[in-house]
Amino acid sequence: MCEPTFFTVTYEINPYMHIEIRPDPSAARQEWGHLVSTLQQTGATVDFLAPVKGVPDLVFTANAGLVQGRRFVPSRFRHPQRRAETPVDVAWFRDHGFLIEQLAGDEPFEGAGDALPFGRPTVIVAGYRYRSSISAHRALGTLLGLPVRSLELVDERYYHLDLAFCPLDDRRAMVAGQALDRYGCRVIEALVPEPIWLEDDEAADFSANSVVVGGVAVMPACTPRLGKVLEKAGYEVVVAPVGEFVKAGGGCRCLTLALDVP
Amino acid sequence: MALVQTTGPSARAVSEVVRLDGHVLDSLVLVKVLDTIVDAGASYKILELDVGTTNRDESHVRIEVSCPDEAALGALLERVQVHGVNREGQEEAHLVPVDQDGVLPDDFYSTTNLPTWVRLSGHWVEVGQPEMDCAVVVDLDGTTARTLPMHRARRGDRVVVGMHGVRVAPPRRSAGPGEFAFMTSEVSSEKPKGLTVERVAATLRRARLHDVGGQSRGILAVCGPAVVHTGAAPALAALVREGWVQALFAGNGFATHDIEAAVLGTSLGVPLSGAEPSEHGHANHLRVINTVRRFGSIANAVDAGWLRRGVLYECVRAGVPFVLGGSVRDDGPLPDVISDTAAAADAMREHLGGIGVALMLASTLHAIATGNLLPATVETFCVDINQAVVTKLADRGSHQALGIVTDVGLFVGDLADLLCGPDWRAQVTRGP
Repeated sequence: MCEPTFFTVTYEINPYMHIEIRPDPSAARQEWGHLVSTLQQTGATVDFLAPVKGVPDLVFTANAGLVQGRRFVPSRFRHPQRRAETPVDVAWFRDHGFLIEQLAGDEPFEGAGDALPFGRPTVIVAGYRYRSSISAHRALGTLLGLPVRSLELVDERYYHLDLAFCPLDDRRAMVAGQALDRYGCRVIEALVPEPIWLEDDEAADFSANSVVVGGVAVMPACTPRLGKVLEKAGYEVVVAPVGEFVKAGGGCRCLTLALDVP
Repeated sequence: MALVQTTGPSARAVSEVVRLDGHVLDSLVLVKVLDTIVDAGASYKILELDVGTTNRDESHVRIEVSCPDEAALGALLERVQVHGVNREGQEEAHLVPVDQDGVLPDDFYSTTNLPTWVRLSGHWVEVGQPEMDCAVVVDLDGTTARTLPMHRARRGDRVVVGMHGVRVAPPRRSAGPGEFAFMTSEVSSEKPKGLTVERVAATLRRARLHDVGGQSRGILAVCGPAVVHTGAAPALAALVREGWVQALFAGNGFATHDIEAAVLGTSLGVPLSGAEPSEHGHANHLRVINTVRRFGSIANAVDAGWLRRGVLYECVRAGVPFVLGGSVRDDGPLPDVISDTAAAADAMREHLGGIGVALMLASTLHAIATGNLLPATVETFCVDINQAVVTKLADRGSHQALGIVTDVGLFVGDLADLLCGPDWRAQVTRGP
């Protein structure tokens, strides 16, 4: 995770960002600190990336790239505003002993924001249209040697897949069908044995942008209905509000990047 | 009487081959792309589908997408591009300069007679003057392209090589009203002849009556000597006089016999009136050639009042251009005959602009020569008593040619009846 020292909104590259609605720095720091301690309480170990002035979205480490074992595949950001993040991310992973592997081609790809492993055997579920290109999915599948399911994101409010798809375990995932077309929903139905479909308000509140650590789901928001469904599925729900980060289009999961991906 | 070949004038659908690679089956991306194509009113044909053997293997699909027009195709392909659909042949045409006059670069692109486009600076540019067996030359600023016969290549001309960046519109059978939709069998001797003549007459009327984009299309007559031998010359002369012919191609034989018939009443010495061959009649055509050579040209013979009837007489009077191409067995030849065959073909090319219909009348060599020069969009009728001539024309690439196996004398006479009214026969009897 990356401390929000320099986090702000200075450009608009998603429907949530408005330059005139800046996040409150102290409230953001408080929310972020609360998220870190919540995750640590679930048993997670948190490593930190040093913030860099003038690179505000560095806090959204989910978009740094994709981790698989000790390999790190850096993102190729679609928007030039975020491209300064990549050298910082790459340096961190190199310093921490990861093998840096560049994705073939030149198509945009935004890391764990748009590519999430699911199931056994593992399939990469990947989103395309707004940020990542389907051609990059192909390169990713080749690089990782894994099958890829490409899902078109059809609603710009869910511009990254991690706003619409949240794997819980090998059988379950929260899914915002609002972000997908009928083909995408059919792919999910074929792939996920027990999908938990989100209601409109749950999807809009970024409930799919949750961090799952063991049996705990750390969520930016959760309706009573969804809470009951998740508890019935054996999950403890902890809500960690991150409203200041939602102003930049990100939730709990966007603020983290899992390093223990098999 | 039989009808051969069936292709109507080409209505142009445009198509393009695209590729889709990756895990496109389990992701339902292929289904989505195909649905999108159909929803857009376009059609597709899967040319190749290579499905991986394990779920880690990629699939590879080649799809031909067809749309009614270029703009719709472009918009559709742009729309499916986000799903990973990539156009094949989006490569630029490769150009190589000619390094020796009259010699094309090795691997030059050899043309068909179909509408053709080449990709230049990211745009599809239509090739002007479609003609088979040529090269494609691109102008200096790279915005226009046209066919280039080999012998006309000049040092520095930029010529397309290889197949990249070249697209050809497939010929499409048309079944629109007024077309030859009823001629759907390769050969039919069962069709009523009157009907066929009426259909040809209807085509000629439509050509003259501004039916395509408000522009009238010219009619080309390509004539063999049998036009004269069978007595069709007066009918053809009437068609020229009445404005049904805009250009005429023939050889020394047709021209000689047309003039011989007009001046002496014989064709190769045989009186067309049906009398016995005259003594020493076989020399008639040589004396006619000799006289025209003395005049210097057929037009001069008309101006002097010596040539006063016949097809070429009407051409001169009406200002209809004619090209007489020579051959190695020509007597004389007539002064108008162009003995350099490459120059003759070039002269024929000069008169093809605006031609929309071609009538090949009892001619083999000149019909094939003309067929080589004509774009496939020109409606072509090949009238010959011998079906092999018709087949030969089609076999040499002029697939658009519609064969009518019949006696040319009767056919042209019937055509003149329909287009010129019965009066033309009276004029023949009276003479000029």
